[in-house]
Amino acid sequence: MSESFLRLIDVTKRYGERVILDSVSLEVAAGEFVALLGPSGCGKTTALRLIAGLETPDAGEVWIEDKRVATGGHNLAPPRARCIGFVFQDLALWPHLTIAGSLDFVLTCAKVPKRERAGRITEVLRLMRIERFAGSHPGQLSGGEQQRAALARALIGRPRLLLLDEPMSSLDADLKTDLLKELTGLQRSLGITALYVTHDQSEARTVAHRIISMREGRIEQAWVADETANEFVTQLEHKKTELV
Amino acid sequence: MSTAATAIARRPFIWPSARAIVLSIAAILFVALCVLPTLYMLGVSLAGADGGFSLDNYRHLLTDARQRDLLLSSSLLGIGTAALATIIGAPLGLLLARADLPAKRFLRLALVVPLVIPPYILGLAWIYIGGSAGLLARVYGRDLLSSWTYSLTGAVITLSLGFFPLAMLATEAAARRVSAHLEEAALLVGPPHRVLRRITLPLIAPSIAASIFIIFVLALSEFGVPGLLRVPVFTTEVFTAFAALYDFGAATALAVPLLVLALTAGIAVKLLIGERMITTGRSTHAGLPLLLGGWRALAIGAVGLVLFLSLGLPLTVLAVEVGRIERIVSAIKTSSEAIANSLLLATIGATLIIALAVLLGYGRARARTRLRGLVDLVFIVVFAVPSTVVGIGLIGLWNRPGLPGEIYKSMAIILIAYLARFVPVAALILAASARQLPVSSEEAAEVAGAGWLRSFARIVLPQLRNGLAAAWVVAFIFAFGELGATVLVSPPGESTLPVRIYTMIANTPSSEVAALALMQASIIIIPLALLGVFGRGQVDRL
Repeated sequence: MSESFLRLIDVTKRYGERVILDSVSLEVAAGEFVALLGPSGCGKTTALRLIAGLETPDAGEVWIEDKRVATGGHNLAPPRARCIGFVFQDLALWPHLTIAGSLDFVLTCAKVPKRERAGRITEVLRLMRIERFAGSHPGQLSGGEQQRAALARALIGRPRLLLLDEPMSSLDADLKTDLLKELTGLQRSLGITALYVTHDQSEARTVAHRIISMREGRIEQAWVADETANEFVTQLEHKKTELV
Repeated sequence: MSTAATAIARRPFIWPSARAIVLSIAAILFVALCVLPTLYMLGVSLAGADGGFSLDNYRHLLTDARQRDLLLSSSLLGIGTAALATIIGAPLGLLLARADLPAKRFLRLALVVPLVIPPYILGLAWIYIGGSAGLLARVYGRDLLSSWTYSLTGAVITLSLGFFPLAMLATEAAARRVSAHLEEAALLVGPPHRVLRRITLPLIAPSIAASIFIIFVLALSEFGVPGLLRVPVFTTEVFTAFAALYDFGAATALAVPLLVLALTAGIAVKLLIGERMITTGRSTHAGLPLLLGGWRALAIGAVGLVLFLSLGLPLTVLAVEVGRIERIVSAIKTSSEAIANSLLLATIGATLIIALAVLLGYGRARARTRLRGLVDLVFIVVFAVPSTVVGIGLIGLWNRPGLPGEIYKSMAIILIAYLARFVPVAALILAASARQLPVSSEEAAEVAGAGWLRSFARIVLPQLRNGLAAAWVVAFIFAFGELGATVLVSPPGESTLPVRIYTMIANTPSSEVAALALMQASIIIIPLALLGVFGRGQVDRL
């Protein structure tokens, strides 16, 4: 792996009295696929939103590439300046725009010349295998197709960092397996840095180079997602069962 | 006999369920009381002089110069009011939904008040301000504004100051429904102003458009303000034809274009907002806050100005016109019968409206067939029918020998007018409330052995109590201020407070009229304030 692409340094985030992230530090290397694993409410989604600039950290710093984008109490770069692709848990596809229209909106915001846009849109729709839905609205698509459309929207701007917030949580097991494989292949071939939030350990193992587990706003463990890691995860599951 | 035939012959008769019987009775009552007047008017519109089918009325509308003038002024009144009220109301709705304003709950409640004060009271106040003998003329010693006050523009501004809360509430509700994720996804690629223009506004546009149509219909059907400000439109001409010239045929013919315009607007509303009409609630991810920065003071100032023009100034002027508190006491004494009639009729009317609407709303919320779209359409279209058209329709239906005639001669016809006008809107409010209830709570009662009637009374109604209270207050306020239909159907010698105020304006000292208007406004504002204080959340739902 190359040097750090994304760094969180002692990041803390509170909602009122409640501490959501408690002095969290983590690093993601360029081209690395990291899964943030943890139960609901452990702060993993908040971490993702802080990286995207959708929330402001109360303390600590966020660095993307060599640029400090947020520091205690301030976002130094707005979300649009961070070159990020984001797939939301509920996908957040714009219901009033067609799939091609959504992609065009992203490219327009990025000031991509009009003559280039059509080619870029076709390219990403083909990559996600949803060319035939270019003129469809999100409501006309199945769950899997919507998933692909959300990923297409996240990728069309050629982001340096892809953030995924439990994007497969509403899909059935078979479809999820297929899409996870595709996502992994896509990330490896594009060489894009990715951070994937999930509470599902098998999902994390399927997609990630490295897994970071979180609990109650803190980083608990980090390990490489190979056979040894599998054993560790199994032990963790046992521990959880005992606790329950 | 074939096997199939035998099976049919042996199939036992199944009694309809209690639910089917009760809901069917409610539907029949709705059709008889609320839909028939409109159908009657529609039938009349399609009948020629010989009673056969004819499109003469519609042809006449396009060819007759007077009808064309009325069509133009009525349309301008509707379009102008819809445009101005939306220009005032939509930004306010966005501010209430997203901006960090102080005392937001109070502001929302205060900004809703102009909607519930009958428009003719606002019209009266503006006459006392800008009329030829108004406050401004008295202060400056010469008539400054009367030519403007008594004009189509004056009517548009007065009605806009009464109806802007509709655009405000629609915009606020829609802005709250937009998931923050949809906007955040856009913020990742574009600046906030572009997100507002390309994502937020298109998502709330259908609701704003629907409120534009609703305001258009209400302005079109408004009778009091154009009547007071001497603006000839269809509603005032219908009243003149019937009440002054005793020409029922002319009144009916004049009501036809209104009906056509209202039906068209009603259908447009249904097409625009569809299922969202009975969907309440907010997005699970609250929308992005509107950061005003240096504009905050300006926004607060704008809200203050709207409150001053639509509420503070009119009520103050009415109070100034009254002069002394004894005049209110005197006005109450001389109009005690009309006041008592209004309070009694509005109370009974609101209760009857809610009794019928709760069944209709429940039936609509639980409907699984495609008919529910048609039901929504009927609710909207019936609500859109102008008050004077309802009045003429009721006269045509009930003014005949026998039992209908006896009802027509009694105060019961006023209650029927209230039902005909306000059951649809109450049913829509209650359908939205009923939809929030999980079907499983009724299924649990059924499994426990409760019949539908018991389940409805013990499980459904208690859970709907907040919605019922809100809908009752809305129905009371509307019924208490109803003028257009009541002025036509009131039995001789009987009147309600709005009818009395309207008929007193021409020949009674302004202090007495203002005293009654102020008292009527107070009677309406007090329950709304109570609803605001004790019914937290219900005001949002309205």
